[in-house]
Amino acid sequence: MLSVAHIHKSFGTVTALNDVSFDVHDGEIMGLIGQNGAGKSTTFHSILNFLAFDGQITWNGQPLTADDYDQIGYLPEERSLMSKLTITQQIVYLARLKNQSANVTKSKIDDWMKRFAVKGQPNDKINKLSKGNQQKVQLICTLIHDPKLIILDEPFSGLDPVNADLLKQAIIDAKNRGAAIIFSSHDMSNVEAICDSLVMLRNGEVVLQGTVDDVRNQFGRTRLFLTTDWTEEQLAALPGVLTVTPQGTERYRLELQNAEAGRAIFDQVTAGQYIQEFSQQPPTLDEIFRTEVRGVDHE
Amino acid sequence: MNKTWIVTWETYLRQIKSWSFLSLVLMPFLFVGLTFGISYFAAPNQSENDIAVVSSTPQLRQTFLKQSHVTTTNKYATLKSAKAATKRNDIAGYLILTANQQRVTATFHGPSAVSSGDKAKIQQFLVATQTQLNVQQAKLTTTQTMALAVQPQFTQKLQKHAASDKLAKMVSFYIIVFFVYLILTTYSSITAQEIASEKGTKIMEVIFSSTTPRKYFNGKVYGVLLVIVTQLLVYLLGGFAAVQLAQHSSVTIDFWKQNTDLINQVLHNLLSVNLLFALLAVLLYTVVSAFCGALVTRVEDAGKAAQPVVYLNLLTFVVALAFQSSPTNTFVTIFSYVPFFSSYLMPLRLINGAATMPVALISLAILLATIVGSMLYIGRIYGGLMLQTDELGFWGNLKRGLSLK
Repeated sequence: MLSVAHIHKSFGTVTALNDVSFDVHDGEIMGLIGQNGAGKSTTFHSILNFLAFDGQITWNGQPLTADDYDQIGYLPEERSLMSKLTITQQIVYLARLKNQSANVTKSKIDDWMKRFAVKGQPNDKINKLSKGNQQKVQLICTLIHDPKLIILDEPFSGLDPVNADLLKQAIIDAKNRGAAIIFSSHDMSNVEAICDSLVMLRNGEVVLQGTVDDVRNQFGRTRLFLTTDWTEEQLAALPGVLTVTPQGTERYRLELQNAEAGRAIFDQVTAGQYIQEFSQQPPTLDEIFRTEVRGVDHE
Repeated sequence: MNKTWIVTWETYLRQIKSWSFLSLVLMPFLFVGLTFGISYFAAPNQSENDIAVVSSTPQLRQTFLKQSHVTTTNKYATLKSAKAATKRNDIAGYLILTANQQRVTATFHGPSAVSSGDKAKIQQFLVATQTQLNVQQAKLTTTQTMALAVQPQFTQKLQKHAASDKLAKMVSFYIIVFFVYLILTTYSSITAQEIASEKGTKIMEVIFSSTTPRKYFNGKVYGVLLVIVTQLLVYLLGGFAAVQLAQHSSVTIDFWKQNTDLINQVLHNLLSVNLLFALLAVLLYTVVSAFCGALVTRVEDAGKAAQPVVYLNLLTFVVALAFQSSPTNTFVTIFSYVPFFSSYLMPLRLINGAATMPVALISLAILLATIVGSMLYIGRIYGGLMLQTDELGFWGNLKRGLSLK
């Protein structure tokens, strides 16, 4: 288990992290979200001991040291490989730095290249690969030694939906074999799809934390999706309705003042009859992200 | 395998497989080979230097051909054929030898005069032959003949050892100084650029999540050092082969015999503690170059990274040249203990006998301590420097880098 406790980091007069704490358990995927400059990369750099910081970071109860590096798989935000090496040379070199034997690594390369659908041969030079394929090779470098702690900084950035799905599957596979995974992303759909928990940073401080459902539910089920023959004006006139947004023929998205207003609306709109859709939901992570970024208090 | 050695091996393999390394190592051999090749092919055709000998007295002609030591050809024995060959430029000319009324004469015909060496040999032959004729003509007794045969003697007693000693010192000094200068400039640039170009990429973050910056830094330095050792070994083996060749080749054997003392002294000066000074200098410069490379923030600035080290090397090189004839100067004595300078100045003192081995060992110890200290310090701050990628200028980069860890 990775435990980050009350870490604080400043660069001169700028506070990059302020009292950041969270845990990532084995077999858990945690999403670290926040705007650019919120402190995500600084958090990762602190975990990896790239930076001096105040506070404590432990791995399985012990401060993380160089001896733990072999268990870590790290993908930096900006992709970079040694362009003059071949795919095999690059993967083997980085795996050897994780104390993996060259022969074992070589025997896995073909499988991993198929898994990520890398277009190229193991003996192709890195600089001959497309940007997307280079990114996949870097992902292979991050995961091929079966790390127990996986840190991915914006792993989905630049991947098309098909390749993003391949990566999601690889992350889920790593989770299933017991790895603790932490990744940052601007795409909330990815976080929502695979994360067990999330931490949201704003200006170096934790503003949201918990399981994805818990975080969403903190904001109340104030989004109502409704398919009805009522008109927009009729719906807007209902008590507790803040806004009505048409979403196709006879389909609307209502924003409610509070979750409790939903029951009265249900009674009125259905009048005891069948309707196709009445779905009361908490805001999506994307909506929460936008709200939190603007600094709107959800209380 | 230890992670330091993984980095060392990777750095080493990458460097020695590069074209720049191959060209660097092979260049001196190519240069020497090319020089010999060009001089061989550019040398005029052997037969064009030959002189044909024509004489109405066949015995005189044969004696000249055998005894004169002049480069001659036996091919053209008649005046007609010799003239024609001269006209075609097949030979340098022809010599007409005559022995009329007990006088030997030789007349050379050719587009240009005979060389002074050949002229002397011809005259020597003529004098000897004429003397023989004169003795026969004078009908002298054996005793008189022997008395006339006595020649004056001229001998030179040179201070040969001292002269070759001085030359050996000068040759050794120049070889060492230029070798050290070139190798330091080359490897300082290679190291600084390699580190700087790595710094511009995020691969360092991946690597530092696998091993410590200190281990990585040490691995890089050892890798470059291994490359230099490889280059030295190639030069030593190449030099050994060249020595063997020079000792046995008919082209160089005379030169070798004449200069054995000088060559042995130069080799002795090179293959000594001076080589250790050169090696440690490269190590120190490599460490400092890596530090300079780590201070650059953009790949594009990689070329600039080596400049401080290259200038420092140039300064020490110029100082060494300036004081080459003053090995006992106080400045030289003091700075022969100062790292960076000591690699030039202590060999200068050693070659000239101005320093003893214990003194050299003290200077070596100081150099070694500086290298170890630099490696420990730079290894400690290396991670911070390499991960600091904001453009803050030299001091700003250094300050930020130091504050990261």
